[in-house]
Amino acid sequence: MEYILNRPDIILRLLGQHLFMTVSALLISIAIALPLSVVLLRSERVASAVLGVLGVLYTIPSIALLILLLPLFGLNQTSVIVALVIYTQIILVRNMVAGLRSVPSATLEAATGVGMSSWQRWYRVQLPLALPVILAGIRLATIVAISIATIGAKFGAGGLGTLLFDGIAQNRYDKIVAGALVVGLLALLLNRLLLLAEARFDPLKHVEPS
Amino acid sequence: MKKLILALLVGLMATAVLAGCGGGDKTVTVASKDFTEQFILGEMYALLLEDAGYTVERKLNLGGTPVTHQALLDEEIDIYPEYTGTGLLTVLKLGVMSDPQAVYDTVKADYAEQFSLAWLDPAPMNNTQALAMTRDRASELGITTFSDMVAHADELVLIGPPEFVEREDGIPGLKRVYGDFEFADILTVDPGLRYQALLNGEADVVVAFGTDGELAAYDLLSLQDDKGLYPPYQVAPVVRQAVLDENGDIADILNSLAPLLTDATMQRLNNEVSGNGREPDEVAREFLVEQGLIDG
Amino acid sequence: MGTRRCKIMTAIRFENVTKQYANTTQPAVDNISCNVDEGSFVVLLGPSGCGKTTLLKMVNRLYEPTSGTIYLGQQDIRQIDATTLRRQIGYVIQQIGLFPHMTVAQNVGIVPELLNWQRDRIRQRVDELLALVDLPPDVYRDRYPSQMSGGQRQRVGVARALAGDPEVILMDEPFGAVDAITRTGLQDELIALQRKLKKTILFVTHDVEEALRLADKIIILKDGRLIQYDTPFNILSHPANQFVYDLVGADDIIRQLGLVRVDLAMKPLPADFVLNGRPTIARDDNLRRALSLLLNSNAPALTVTEGDQPVGILTLNNIQAYQ
Repeated sequence: MEYILNRPDIILRLLGQHLFMTVSALLISIAIALPLSVVLLRSERVASAVLGVLGVLYTIPSIALLILLLPLFGLNQTSVIVALVIYTQIILVRNMVAGLRSVPSATLEAATGVGMSSWQRWYRVQLPLALPVILAGIRLATIVAISIATIGAKFGAGGLGTLLFDGIAQNRYDKIVAGALVVGLLALLLNRLLLLAEARFDPLKHVEPS
Repeated sequence: MKKLILALLVGLMATAVLAGCGGGDKTVTVASKDFTEQFILGEMYALLLEDAGYTVERKLNLGGTPVTHQALLDEEIDIYPEYTGTGLLTVLKLGVMSDPQAVYDTVKADYAEQFSLAWLDPAPMNNTQALAMTRDRASELGITTFSDMVAHADELVLIGPPEFVEREDGIPGLKRVYGDFEFADILTVDPGLRYQALLNGEADVVVAFGTDGELAAYDLLSLQDDKGLYPPYQVAPVVRQAVLDENGDIADILNSLAPLLTDATMQRLNNEVSGNGREPDEVAREFLVEQGLIDG
Repeated sequence: MGTRRCKIMTAIRFENVTKQYANTTQPAVDNISCNVDEGSFVVLLGPSGCGKTTLLKMVNRLYEPTSGTIYLGQQDIRQIDATTLRRQIGYVIQQIGLFPHMTVAQNVGIVPELLNWQRDRIRQRVDELLALVDLPPDVYRDRYPSQMSGGQRQRVGVARALAGDPEVILMDEPFGAVDAITRTGLQDELIALQRKLKKTILFVTHDVEEALRLADKIIILKDGRLIQYDTPFNILSHPANQFVYDLVGADDIIRQLGLVRVDLAMKPLPADFVLNGRPTIARDDNLRRALSLLLNSNAPALTVTEGDQPVGILTLNNIQAYQ
């Protein structure tokens, strides 16, 4: 515990690296998952197949996947980011598809019927109504990403995992504890922030059935 | 909202790409293996280069010998500290030699020819592989030499890094020189966890390095290599030839360090970190400043 | 304003309209041709699978015909961009489909908003329409759909369909999802509304009573084909075939009476007329109601009124004589 207090500079630097990897990976993953989910909405069959593949990828132990990616992307943050994107895809796609499907078809038909263009229908009706479930998926994906990113430290990517691995190599228990604590706190904090976002972006938040 | 996210995404990707490009010229990647002495050495190389104006990317604690050597070949890293004996036995897979100069000349020549890697000047220290036990346990069984140990092997638990099981100067080498035997059990762990297990009785024999601070700190008995399995292990920077060609002064900068690294010095520095709980980078910096190699 | 508003003539013309789905032998809509007059309330009636909803949805191009043409006024609707077309046609569906994340005002104002009206104009229009469907704006403007009953929601749905002041309204079994009592109330309101606004309405239902009650004319469909297209009264009195006969219960005299105005059978006030507490009935009410009133009250005659003014009397004999 004292380690955190004694060396805030190291902690902040590693935190910065960790956040960089996690946030980049999440943004890329969302940018892929969202259009993918829209496409998957059309066919139940294709959706199951794709989710199946993503599910299998998810079960590969993260160290293994990372090692497999190293020859392609190198001993650096890029490999970790790619691994994180792969792991978070299933969580995001599953939630996005569920969220988008949960919008009642009558509502969408009404949107078309009043003369909304496809884009307007998507942006003004479908997306806002699906948003709470989508945000929940993003929140879960974030927690998973923070955790898996710790492994990156073993492969030259930096991040908070460095405290863990250095602690092991140097027989420094305090570093290990510090690393675990900060990662845990980071996860808790982001979870809370995203929960707040979920509440704030819930389009039905005002509504109490009378 | 979607546009904002898109913009953020593009921005972050651009940053990532730029960061990944490694900045401008004169960037060097210094790596190290995964134990205390390597952290200190790697840090010293990095500090020396930075003092000379280089931008250094550190990838310390990368892993064992196979990982770091491969990383050099893959051009993922540029420099790391290697031991002549390890280069000879584990990397080149040649037979044991005991003359330090002969070992150095061999590895230097063969690394250059086979891998386009250059060995800079070696340090006087000899971080030999060793096998150590607590004095109590050793006297209990009457073990002082490797031969003694081999005779009692089926009562002993060995603990060491994973590569020991494979290395020429590890189990295979022991068997070759001392005859066939089986340990009661072999525990493979990260180097940093070795000594704890020995001290709390989970293991009897630990794979040690000659300059480990723990040997003095815990008053351990280093068994005698009575049949001369081990070659000398002098540390030197191994650098990619291409990097040396591009940056002519690297050799001189790092060679200035070599003569200062004696057994005693190395043990002292190691102990500062593993015994006194100080940070490798601090210990490295302090030493270099003391020796006037870098500005304070 | 950015959107191109084409000048819509208010009749709808179907010309050889057919809809054939790929994996079926029977077309869903089979070569239908007919005209819908401006300002008329036309009901599409038939058993399920007869093609009535399919036909309706081709008018706002939610479906496209396989062959044939549909004209809105003089214009072939295929010449108009579908989104633009839909902003000029009101659309009310059975499940109502209000946007749950928008207030009543935002729901009702959606089409004007899509048409880029000024904000004040939209606000005014929303208030006007809410009043029209009997939902006081001050109370309901900022409510959300989930805070309202099914009947109230469908009234918002109707208001939404009227907001852009379209000439044509399409309604697909709009009262199917509410209870019978609410449904009658909504039908009454729709009749009153239509009297005021005189829109062209295409209304789909499988409920014969509803059709007879609301329609100026009924299009009866079976297996995608148009069987009969006429006023309710004519269909009841001259059904085209056995199918229509069975469907509408053409032998049901009582039903027919429900379609005849009181003032068609009433007799003028006698010279010695005195208001003496006889039950009254409005002149534009129907003979079935009159019959019911007579039977219930046991009175010898009813006083027919227009507003408060007595204008005639009606006896059981008068009703029988009308037959």
